[in-house]
Amino acid sequence: MNGFTAALSLLALALLVVAGVHGAARALRVSHEPLAAQPFGSGHEPVEHAVSRFHMRWYTVTMLFLAFDMEMVFMYPWTLVISVMGPTAVIEMFVFLGVLLSGVLYAWREGALRWA
Amino acid sequence: MGLTDFLVRAAARRPSVLLVTMPGGTPVRLAAERELRCRGWAEASTPAGADLLLVAGPDCPALRSGPDRLWDDMSRPRVRLRAETAEAVAPVLDEGRARLGETERGPYGAVDPRGHGGPPMAGPGEDRDGLTLDRLHLSLGPFLADWPAGLVVRVVLQGDVIRRARLGEPYETGPADPFWSRPWIRASAGEPVPVAEAARRRAAAHLDSLGRLSAVAGWPAEAVAARRLRDDLLEGAPADAVLPRTMRLARRVGRSRSLYRLTWGIGPLTAADAHAAGVSGPAARAGGDVPARYRQWLSDTLDDMRRLDDTTTLLDPVAEESPRGRWDTQRPPSAALAGLLPRLLEGTELAAARLVVASLDPDPDEPAVRRQEVARG
Amino acid sequence: MVDAGKWWTLPVAPALLLGFAVLAVAGKTALDDRGAGRSVTPVGVLRPLLAVPRALVAQPRRLPASDRLLWRLGVVTVPVAAVLSTLVIPFGNHVVADLSVGVVWFNAMEVLTWAGLWLAGWGPNAAFSLVGGYRFLAQGLAYELPLMFALISAATGAQSLRVTDIAGAQHGLWYAVWMPFAFAVHLTGVLAFSFLGPFAYPAGRDIADGVLGETSGVDRLLLRAGRWLWLAAGAAMAVPLFLGGGAGPGLPAWAWSLVKTVLVLGLLVWVLRRLPALRADRYVELAWVVLLPAAIVQVLVPALVDLGP
Repeated sequence: MNGFTAALSLLALALLVVAGVHGAARALRVSHEPLAAQPFGSGHEPVEHAVSRFHMRWYTVTMLFLAFDMEMVFMYPWTLVISVMGPTAVIEMFVFLGVLLSGVLYAWREGALRWA
Repeated sequence: MGLTDFLVRAAARRPSVLLVTMPGGTPVRLAAERELRCRGWAEASTPAGADLLLVAGPDCPALRSGPDRLWDDMSRPRVRLRAETAEAVAPVLDEGRARLGETERGPYGAVDPRGHGGPPMAGPGEDRDGLTLDRLHLSLGPFLADWPAGLVVRVVLQGDVIRRARLGEPYETGPADPFWSRPWIRASAGEPVPVAEAARRRAAAHLDSLGRLSAVAGWPAEAVAARRLRDDLLEGAPADAVLPRTMRLARRVGRSRSLYRLTWGIGPLTAADAHAAGVSGPAARAGGDVPARYRQWLSDTLDDMRRLDDTTTLLDPVAEESPRGRWDTQRPPSAALAGLLPRLLEGTELAAARLVVASLDPDPDEPAVRRQEVARG
Repeated sequence: MVDAGKWWTLPVAPALLLGFAVLAVAGKTALDDRGAGRSVTPVGVLRPLLAVPRALVAQPRRLPASDRLLWRLGVVTVPVAAVLSTLVIPFGNHVVADLSVGVVWFNAMEVLTWAGLWLAGWGPNAAFSLVGGYRFLAQGLAYELPLMFALISAATGAQSLRVTDIAGAQHGLWYAVWMPFAFAVHLTGVLAFSFLGPFAYPAGRDIADGVLGETSGVDRLLLRAGRWLWLAAGAAMAVPLFLGGGAGPGLPAWAWSLVKTVLVLGLLVWVLRRLPALRADRYVELAWVVLLPAAIVQVLVPALVDLGP
C-alpha cells in the first residue's frame, strides 16, 4: 500500500463505520418520525434565529495567527535541511521568528490579546 | 422487535436526568442531586441529552409551561417524573428507570403542537464597541443547569457579550419556604434555635453555592467534592468528620492559582457599593471580585464548622447573618443580590456572567417570602 | 525496521484507537466514581458505553431552520479526523503509512476539528451551540501555535517529518527528557483539541453543554466519541514523538508502545479533573505571551544540536 491508498482506505473505513452506525440507528430506533423540537432556551422558546452576525472580538488574534501559520509553511521544510544549510538556516529562521514575536509583543501592548 | 427492546432496556440502566427545580424546591433538588450522584446517573443540561425529566419541588402554576416545553423537546425514549418532596425522589427515579426500559417502538406523532412559522431573524444594533451587530434576545433561567432555580435574567446578546440585562418579572408562587434561611425565620418568630443548627445550615448553603460556582467554572470534580460535603453536613455529620475535608477543599479551590487567574476582576463589587445596594453577608464582606467571594465562602464555612458542637447558645437572628446576609423578612438579602445583577452583567461575556451570578448566588426562594408577607399584610 | 503499509494495519489501527479511547473513558469514570464516593467496579466504569445503545434507539430530533447537512458534516469530521490521524502513528514496529510528511499529516487532521466543531456549533441554529462553536475557534487560536512548535521541536531533533524517523532518532535519550517543555505543550494541545477537562470550554456547562447541547442520537455519540478518540490519538502520537516509540529493553516493541501510550493516557485523564475550564479570553494571553515564545526557544535547542559536531 502506498500512502495515498492507505489514507483513502482508512477514510473509507471510517466513513463506512459512521454509515454503519447511522444505518443501525435507522433500523433500531424507537420511532422513525422525527420530533419537532426547539433549541434549548432555559424553559423559554427562542424568539429569533440564533445564527446571526456574531461579534468575534478576538479577530485581531486571528491576524496574528495567520502570520504565524504562514511561517509554519516555511518551518516544516526547514527542519529537513538544518545541518545541510548550516548556521545560516538557523539564524535566518530565528531572526524571522524574532520579527514575528516582536509583532506579538506590539499587539499585546496594544491590548489585542485581551477582549473580555 | 427484540433487539430494540433489549437496547432500550440496556440504555435505561443508567439514564441521564434533566433536573428541573421549581421555586421552593431546594430540599427536593438537594435530595435529587445526592441520589443522582450516589447512583452515578448523569445530570443532563438540555432536553437533547436527557432520558428522564425530573421536576423537583412544589407545583408553580406560573412556571408550569417551562417543564412542559422542555418535555416537548425531549426525544424518545423519555419519561417525565415529578417529586414534590425529598422522600419521593428515590422511588420516583426507580419508577422512571423502569418505565424508560419499557419504552416501546411505535409511530409517535411528530406534529409540533406549537406550530412552525419559525422565529424572525435577529435585528442589528450598536454593540458595546461601536459596531453594528445582530442582537439576540435570550433568557437565562428559570430552568438552566447550575442556576438559581426560578431566577430569570433576560439578556440581549451580541455574539457572546451581554449588551443589556434585566431581571424577569417576579411570579406568584405557593407558600414560600426558603430552605437555607429556615433557622433564621424560626428564630425571628421567637422559636429557640441552637446556633449550631444555624451554623450547619449556613455552611451547607455556602458549600451549595460553591458547588454551583465550581460547576459553572468548568470544574466538575470540585463541584462534586463541595456537594458531598454539603450533603454530609445536612445529614448531621460531626465536625471532625467534615472539617478536615473542608480544609482540603479550601486548599484546592481557595488557593488554586488557576481558578484565581481565571476569575479575578470579574463582577467587581466594593463593600461600599454592596452596602449602598442593601447587600449584607459574604458578598458585602468580601468586597471584591469573584475570587474574593468564593474565598469568603470558604473561610465562613470553616468558621461555621468550628461551631457545630455549640448546642447551648441560641441563634440571635439579628446578630447572626443568614447564608446570604442579615435576615429581614421585609427585605430578604437575596432580593438585594438579584437587584445587582443587571448592572454587573451588562458588558460581560456569557461565561463571566454565569460566574457573576454563581458567585452572588441569590436564592429566588427568599424574595418569594417578601411577596407573601406583602400579600398577607 | 518499521513495517509500513501492511493491509491488516488498516482495521487494527482504528480498533486500537477505539480501545485506548474506551480505556480512557473507563479511567475517567473510575476517578469520578472515587471522587463521588461510589464504589469503583470493573463493570461500573464501563457504563458510559451505554451511550451506544441509547444513541441507536433514540428518536430523531429536528430543530427549526437547522443546517442539517453542515451540522452532520461537522459532527462526523471530529471522530473521522481522529481515526485518520492514526495513519502515521507507529505502534511497535508497524504503521499504516510511513508518510515522509507524517507530522504535517497529524497536524492537518487535528486542525480539521476546528472546522468540525465550528460547524457542529453552527448547524443546530441554537444560541448556546453557536457560542460553543466560536469558543472552540478562540481556544484554537490559543493552543494551536504552541502545539505546532512542539511538533516542530521533535521534527527538528530528528531533522525529519517522518514519525518513524523521529522515534528512531531518540537513541535511548527521549526527547521528553531534553525537550520537556515541548512534551508538556504537546500534552496540553492534546487536551485542547479533545476539548476535554480544562479545555471543555466549547462544551461548557455554563452554556448548557455548548456544541454538545443540541446533539442527540448518533450525532451525540459520534461527537462525544470524537473527543476521546482524539485524546487517545494525541497520547499515542506522544509516544513516537517524545518517548522513543517502541524502543525499550526486554519487551517487544508493541508492548513498549502499549505501556507508554497507556501511561500518557493515564496522565492526561488524571489532569482532566485537576483544573477548572481555561477560558480562551484569559488563556489566549498566556498562550501568546508565555507559551509561544517559550515554545520557539524550545525549537532553538534541537536546531543548535543539529548544527553541533
